[in-house]
Amino acid sequence: MPRLLSDQPDLTDSNAPHLRVVDADAYPDWEAVYRDNVTRLYRLMYARTGNRPDAEDLTAEVFRTALGPLRLDASRGEVRSYLLFTARTVLASHWRRNLGLPVTSVDPASELAFLTEPSAPDQPSDAPDRARKILATLPDRYRRILELRFLEACSIKEAAHAMGVTISNAKVLQHRALRMAANVDKAVEA
Amino acid sequence: MSNRRLSTYIDAIVAGRRPPRYRADPEDVEVLQTAIALRAARPGDGEPDDEFVSDLFNELVTQGRSAPIVELAHPRRRRALLAAVAASVVIVGGTVLATDAINHSPAPPATALAPSQSAVRTGTFETADNQVMGQIVAYSGHPSWVYMNVNGSNFSGRIVCKLQIQDGSAVAVGVFDLHHGKGEFSRNITVDISHLRGAKLVTSTGSTVAMATFA
Repeated sequence: MPRLLSDQPDLTDSNAPHLRVVDADAYPDWEAVYRDNVTRLYRLMYARTGNRPDAEDLTAEVFRTALGPLRLDASRGEVRSYLLFTARTVLASHWRRNLGLPVTSVDPASELAFLTEPSAPDQPSDAPDRARKILATLPDRYRRILELRFLEACSIKEAAHAMGVTISNAKVLQHRALRMAANVDKAVEA
Repeated sequence: MSNRRLSTYIDAIVAGRRPPRYRADPEDVEVLQTAIALRAARPGDGEPDDEFVSDLFNELVTQGRSAPIVELAHPRRRRALLAAVAASVVIVGGTVLATDAINHSPAPPATALAPSQSAVRTGTFETADNQVMGQIVAYSGHPSWVYMNVNGSNFSGRIVCKLQIQDGSAVAVGVFDLHHGKGEFSRNITVDISHLRGAKLVTSTGSTVAMATFA
């Protein structure tokens, strides 16, 4: 039996419309949930996968999963928390399925920004800052090959041409540069 | 061999393509993390396409409007719950319906709302060949419930959902029908969700269709 709040109007009047108590912080409808969270979920998944096709698939999977159990009388924070928990599971499943190992993860406890920050289109990502820190510590040629490939969208052939090396050399250079960058990244993250 | 597949994976990320599956070595993980971090710093793909946002919304609306009826647990409350995204209220668990008057205590502020990890547990149903077939959510509350959404096979027919307990035992929580591989099911449960290990979907002949492990 639901508990009636003392400051609520009499709902036993059969002529009264059926009302529900909506917290001021709650979403008014499902579309509002979607509009407020689709961008932030996509950003989260893009930052964890590094590619648009996977980010789109995982974002869609989170919403498809969250759709059924979603309670719209819950507050925005609860809804976002639930989406984050769902995102964590969806991402873990993605890595298990595709690589057999967890490469990246979602930690709801440390994603406070997801819960509190607005999802503005011009909201800066911390990815450029992290990339700058990684690249700044690398030798010139390692930094340059990664800049050409990852930031300037060059093909391996274009990158090789820009650096005056063969394609095979460019591949080796990229591989070694990434290995060194991974060590730097680990130190930056720590 | 792993280096070649790792390079192929990274080439796909650089080119913005969907990376191929491969069995990664543990030593690949840090390189992949770095490649993802560097790629995420490139301007352009970090924001969703308007077309994607619009198409997904339309798909979800369509999915919600065609969602099957969910049988609820309590016999006296066995009612149809339409999981329609357009509905003003969507509640699972069999305690209230969208058109019912709902009374509840005010929610706490948003900043204090992250539910404890033990309150919600989720898992992904996967087939034997690792195809995703749906999701399951277990919620600890009053009442506790499970909800599952299956979508991703061609199977039609009766499905039994069994919850697997950490002690090795299994509890059948209900039966529902899949239509062309799609179906939803929710039920109140009395099992402590912290003791759940996974869930299994089996056919009426006992064949396993998919399994999920709770995170």
